Amino acid sequence: MSIIKKLALVVVSLSLVAVSSVSSAKPFSPKKPVELIIPAGQGGGADEIARLVQGVIEKNDYASKPVIPINKSGGSGGEAMTYVKKKAGDEHTLIITLNNVLTTPVNQPELGIDFFNDFTPLARLITDTFLVWIATEGKNTAGVETFDDFINLAKGNGLVMGGTGSMSEDELLLGMMRGQFGFDAKYVPYSGGGAVAKGLVGGESDFTLNNPSEQMGFYQSGDSKALVMMTPERNPAFPEVPSSYELGYPDLEYYMMRAFMAPAGIDAEVEKYYTGLLHTVYHDDEFQTFNIDDGKLMSWLEGFGLKDFLAIEYEKHGEIIKNFN
Amino acid sequence: MSITNKITVKRAEIAVAVILALCSIALMIKSAENRITWNAEENMGAGFLPFYLSLGMLICTILTIIKFVLKRSPQSKDDSPFIDAVAFKFIAVTIISLVVLVLAIGYLGIYFSLIFFLAFYLRYFSEKSIAFITIFAITTPILTFLFFEWMLKIPLPQGVSEPLFYPVYDFMYGGFSFAVKMIFIILTVILPTVLVFLTTRFIK
Amino acid sequence: METVGFLLDGIFTSLQWFNLALLIFGCLIGLFVGAMPGLGSVNGVAILIPITFIIPPTAAIIFLAAVYYGAMYGGAISSVMLGIPGASTAVATVFDGRPLAVKGEAMTALTAAAVGSFVGGTVSVILFTLFAPPLAEVALRFNAPETFALMVMAFATFVGLGGDDVPKTIFSILIGLALSTIGLDLITGKPRLIFFNIPGFLHGINFLVLAIGIYGIGEMLWTLEETKGKVQMSKLSVNMKEVGRAFGALKKTIMAMNIGSFLGFFVGILPAAGATPASLMSYGITKQLSKNSKEFGEGVPAGVVAPECANNSASTGSMLPMLTLGIPGSPTTAILLGGMILWGLTPGPLLFTQEPEFVWGLIGSLYIANFFTLVLNIALIPAFLMVLRIPFAILAPVIFVLCVTGGYAPTQSLHDVWLMLLFGFAGYILRKLDYPVAPAVLSIVLGPLAEKALRQSLILSDGSMGIFFDVSEKPIAAVIMYIAIVLLIMPAFGPLYRRLFKKKQTA
Repeated sequence: MSIIKKLALVVVSLSLVAVSSVSSAKPFSPKKPVELIIPAGQGGGADEIARLVQGVIEKNDYASKPVIPINKSGGSGGEAMTYVKKKAGDEHTLIITLNNVLTTPVNQPELGIDFFNDFTPLARLITDTFLVWIATEGKNTAGVETFDDFINLAKGNGLVMGGTGSMSEDELLLGMMRGQFGFDAKYVPYSGGGAVAKGLVGGESDFTLNNPSEQMGFYQSGDSKALVMMTPERNPAFPEVPSSYELGYPDLEYYMMRAFMAPAGIDAEVEKYYTGLLHTVYHDDEFQTFNIDDGKLMSWLEGFGLKDFLAIEYEKHGEIIKNFN
Repeated sequence: MSITNKITVKRAEIAVAVILALCSIALMIKSAENRITWNAEENMGAGFLPFYLSLGMLICTILTIIKFVLKRSPQSKDDSPFIDAVAFKFIAVTIISLVVLVLAIGYLGIYFSLIFFLAFYLRYFSEKSIAFITIFAITTPILTFLFFEWMLKIPLPQGVSEPLFYPVYDFMYGGFSFAVKMIFIILTVILPTVLVFLTTRFIK
Repeated sequence: METVGFLLDGIFTSLQWFNLALLIFGCLIGLFVGAMPGLGSVNGVAILIPITFIIPPTAAIIFLAAVYYGAMYGGAISSVMLGIPGASTAVATVFDGRPLAVKGEAMTALTAAAVGSFVGGTVSVILFTLFAPPLAEVALRFNAPETFALMVMAFATFVGLGGDDVPKTIFSILIGLALSTIGLDLITGKPRLIFFNIPGFLHGINFLVLAIGIYGIGEMLWTLEETKGKVQMSKLSVNMKEVGRAFGALKKTIMAMNIGSFLGFFVGILPAAGATPASLMSYGITKQLSKNSKEFGEGVPAGVVAPECANNSASTGSMLPMLTLGIPGSPTTAILLGGMILWGLTPGPLLFTQEPEFVWGLIGSLYIANFFTLVLNIALIPAFLMVLRIPFAILAPVIFVLCVTGGYAPTQSLHDVWLMLLFGFAGYILRKLDYPVAPAVLSIVLGPLAEKALRQSLILSDGSMGIFFDVSEKPIAAVIMYIAIVLLIMPAFGPLYRRLFKKKQTA
């Protein structure tokens, strides 16, 4: 019995010493593992980047505590955003963004998320773009060589488009194209970019608006081909795919941003630390190589530039949703 | 007459059927917040499936009630108590302690709540010595912590006890050598486990 | 036959000492993680991805394959020993594994699970090696209507599972399906059934919350009532005679092994289906075809072998759509897929030709992992059995701790722990009143898959159900659908037919 008492005494005194030693003023560094909330399921684009960031930080010891990715995919990011909103002032929570952080507060007003006041934007690392894909041997798209061929075909026929879920980026894009080119398509939602890509090649859908990495395997094998990339310039990973600017459709420009945000109400010191950490990750060779090979655009943005960008994008998405409905 | 004798299987059966019927109706009303139609112009609405599934549930419960009224189900003729008094006490204590545990997790965090839960539960249900219970109630949360937070890196809720864990994290991810960490694990896990074994052997 | 060469290379690579050490370590982690309710291979694999940046990709994939396989075995352990399915793939293992353990034949159940898994894994590796490229083509043609037909078939194989009370059985199926519709509707993008606007409902109800609630909390309450907390969970003895008996019992399960291995593999390669429907269908079909189908559910070794064989077979099979089509069939394969992309490999049709060493190395290491997990498992059976020696009064709180952590871990939300308690209590009450609970668990597992496939198909067909029955347009879907309908009708006509037949005999 006395052994236990002694043990208990040791434990208590140890923890007291430890607690008192923490509270001295030093520049911020995380005191416990940092939760990185992913507002999407395992295996998607955001998940991939989050786990890449985790791996790069861990491998190079960029942070004193590990980063732990946690998937909260419910409600198109609604669950993740509510969670982060509740964590206001928490210094060990980050969220990686998809564009659903821009659309969900508008689509689901009952969640009560205020995009501009519930989060502290830290930095944008990457932008991902979208391409219009068709199957090389698609039975309804035979003979389509260019994006203009495609528009002409799509106007007359009700083509089927595979997408990643209703009100997600690609359905909004379809809405944008409907307004711009006057064609409509039947939208079939799947549960992820991979399934969308397979549905196209398997002949269930006629075209898709996938990210580069989602179609990469089928693109390399020649089973699918891209007609246009929705950017001002061509991408080195897809040298023969024309940009929308080249084809004379500068309005057809759309990006998926991979940015990181923290909850609202954190100290400037903390904000500075995480932005610095992300900056280190951004300039890591492995991180750069992986993303460039995957057809992503490296596009660092922080501070006021980022805030402006988010404000513009938020408004743009609000507009798209309004037109869509 | 204790309350457990009044709750017969018969009464429980009809009460549960009525509650389930009410739940089904609530589910139908909730489903109807989304479109529940399905016709040629519009595809199946989001509420269609949940609405008709809960309608089916309602029909099933009504059938159960009809069977009850017609005395066709074995439960409708059973006047024995639904649960006997001793078992009722055990079940009630278990459920209340679990509810308190989950409430405590939200405030106190899981590790300290578990200590109290285990201590209470073992004291109530087992005839083990205080020494055994103490060691067991302290070792289990430690093992849980090591397994979830260290090995699997799954953070469990810590509530207000969070600052107490900062030094532990500093140690876990600090620049200590592998050997030091191993010794730590041995001290925190194996030692108490050995103690448990010893106490079970020698202390009744 | 150069694939055989690559496969042998893969096997030999796995047998190098460094890789072998990783492999055994991975199997052990997998076993442990798989045996914890609520945790599964997905947790093991996710943690290890960052580590794999440090070790070479081949070693990394061997390690991950070992964790994956170990967890598949581990799920069975918790199904048998604790009665809680460790993962959705092990749900069907509870049906007969648990009764066997309670009867004191845990040894038989564990041996059956281990050997069944090994056989399933072996058969599927052989099938994979022989037929991978043509099967990739089949997987590609397997779209929404086919998936829905398959789900109907999975339900059809389970008609016989419910209790005697028909309205209560149907109620159980329907409530499982209804619970599975909670959360965001994929097709319209609208949130559904968000009670009281609690954000926790946005992610829907994970099957584990219901399964841990019913089989963990509910079962404990049930046992508490039966035993008044005084007895041990079950009696058992471990000696050579028992071991011999356990292996002897396997002789009668050859049919289950055949069904499990082949069915498991073919369902496994279908994208979006995976190991869970495979194990459920295997159990259902084995039960229906078995001579003593009445005994299923009361503890027969074949009822453990069938699902375990199928889920291991299917998990190898599900590597095929992941590698060739880039479609993850489960969260685990989704993370593996993410890992592959990070290592600079592009999943797709070209992977087999461009990176044969990787593909066959993975398959080879799966096979070796399969073998070592079998050995480890059989060796560790006495250790697992010690769980049953723990007095109930101590085991019960430990199981409650496992339930609480297991309910929390998958979604990291206390909301799910509350739901789990609620389901546990409700499940206990309903079970006392003869509501069968297994159908609810099954339908919450299969419900989301079925709903998605159904509604995708209906968009494609402009709302016509004809898409599932048109032999000329969608031959695969139609054939599966007709088989499913026959399976659905069979049990209803079976007793009728038998009664008529018997009457004639006696007349």
